[in-house]
Amino acid sequence: MRAKLALMAALMLTGCGSAPNSANSPAEPPRFKAALEAEGDGAKRYGRGDYAVAARRFDEAARLYASIDDEPGTARNRLHLARSELALGRAEAALLVLEKTERGTDGSLALDALLLKAQAQLAVARIDAAQQGLAAASGLCGSGCPQLASLHLLQARAALAERRAADALAHAETALKLLQDKDEAAETGNAWRLIATARLAAGDAGGALSAAGTALGIDRRLASPEKIAGDWLLIGDARRKIGAGDGAEAYRRALDVANAAGLADIATIATQALSAAGKTTATVR
Amino acid sequence: MSLLTEYDSDTAALRRGIRRFLLMALLVMLALIAAIAVRQGLFRQTTSYSFVTNSAQDIAKGQAVRIAGFRVGSVADVSLKDDGQVAVSMEIDADHMRFVTADARVELRKEGLVGSPTLEIVPGPDKTRLAAAQARLSFSRADGLTALANQVRDEFIPILKDIKLITGALADPQKGLPGTLAQVRASTEAINALLANRSHQLDNIGDAAVRVLGKAEEDLSHLGQTLETANQRLPAILDRTQQVLDHVEKIAAEAEVSVPPALRDGAAAAADAREIVGGAKQAWPIRNFVDAPAPAALKADSDLRGEAGRAR
Repeated sequence: MRAKLALMAALMLTGCGSAPNSANSPAEPPRFKAALEAEGDGAKRYGRGDYAVAARRFDEAARLYASIDDEPGTARNRLHLARSELALGRAEAALLVLEKTERGTDGSLALDALLLKAQAQLAVARIDAAQQGLAAASGLCGSGCPQLASLHLLQARAALAERRAADALAHAETALKLLQDKDEAAETGNAWRLIATARLAAGDAGGALSAAGTALGIDRRLASPEKIAGDWLLIGDARRKIGAGDGAEAYRRALDVANAAGLADIATIATQALSAAGKTTATVR
Repeated sequence: MSLLTEYDSDTAALRRGIRRFLLMALLVMLALIAAIAVRQGLFRQTTSYSFVTNSAQDIAKGQAVRIAGFRVGSVADVSLKDDGQVAVSMEIDADHMRFVTADARVELRKEGLVGSPTLEIVPGPDKTRLAAAQARLSFSRADGLTALANQVRDEFIPILKDIKLITGALADPQKGLPGTLAQVRASTEAINALLANRSHQLDNIGDAAVRVLGKAEEDLSHLGQTLETANQRLPAILDRTQQVLDHVEKIAAEAEVSVPPALRDGAAAAADAREIVGGAKQAWPIRNFVDAPAPAALKADSDLRGEAGRAR
């Protein structure tokens, strides 16, 4: 018994003695570590919805990676930066960042860059350019890349922008199948919202209403004001088409969410929709 | 007989126990010695560099040598040469040799301006050529708090003197503000007298004109009173201003003595805290619980702004 205790004590002492030596010699060079820390901090802030600070941290990380000639790190953080700019509603700024990024990307990063670029182009209504980018992305992706669901969703958005409701519905439903059993709540919500929009455009208001309700449930869990307000607008449109009398209530909910989150553009759309429904009682704050 | 046999077997068991205990004690001692040796870096490979300076002030054997804030070695020897110069040799971990360029220089810095002095190897602009082992590096001392305080003092004292001169000139009873105000008051009184004479001569012009002039006379009289009041109060105000400036000068002089230590303490405490947190993060076993930073992956979202729902 005593021998065992003594052996344990000896092992612990040896462990304690050897620990500081490895701690004194840092595993990564300081500049690389600083870049990793900036990137990690940016990702944390992005996850919390603090996109402005996240964008600054990703920009800093990209510069640090560029200063040590780490091309994948630079490209990855430029893509993060472009994503943050898009989340802030600055699609033109995102496009500028992506233009600089195209040179240093290949493989999965190149595909991510194409998808982000298409998303930015759709946001500024450059539909033809977005379609070209999506065609190139489709060639890169093949039939089994991890971004295939996102590619289908963007193709659905492009089809909707060109008023091809049937194509949009097909793409969105394909994406939804690909997303089954995957931890991709945001993309699943997007798929349901696109299905609702496509069904509404095709005249299936009942189907649109149930799809928009599903999207709303997901987006509420994600706590994303833009998407929740968009879902309420869709629900209002679907209810009006069905002839249900509570379409105005859905628009009012969209207006309340937009006002509370300071989303002026969505608030304007909701006010116009309320006005069209003949129940203008709220104003844009 | 059986009693003796039993006694012998007890003795043998005791001997075995003692032998086991001594063996374990020896093993523990060896482990301790090995741990201390590893901790002291006896098995680490080091490289020697040196520099020459004209004073050994703030340089001591065992002092930390850093690169970019990381401790990478220590001062191995400080000796006085025949020509009166001081030769300092440093031992640097061989792993960190790659940061010591041929044009690198050694700077004596103080943590938080006046904290404990450390030697920092600052790599030069030419990163392609590394310094050879035993190389002699150039050396410089960073400006300390005393130099900084003297610089602030040199800049600040002429400003205070100028302020004193200006306020003195303003407070001068003959040439400053009081004298000027007295002249204004005399002029006002002369205008009052002139207006009084003219009012007699202009009686015939009409009642309206007389009323106007009367009003003007009244206003000027008020102005005269106001200026007189100002003339009485301004010297006191200027005296008070002078006192305030004297106080400011005194406070500045005291601050020159008391603020730098406070700054030093704050900066040193912050540096210590950073070092402690950084050290704790790297120390065993805490480092096992701290996530090492890794490249980040963001969740896919092809409609970040929910634009699909807004298409109308």
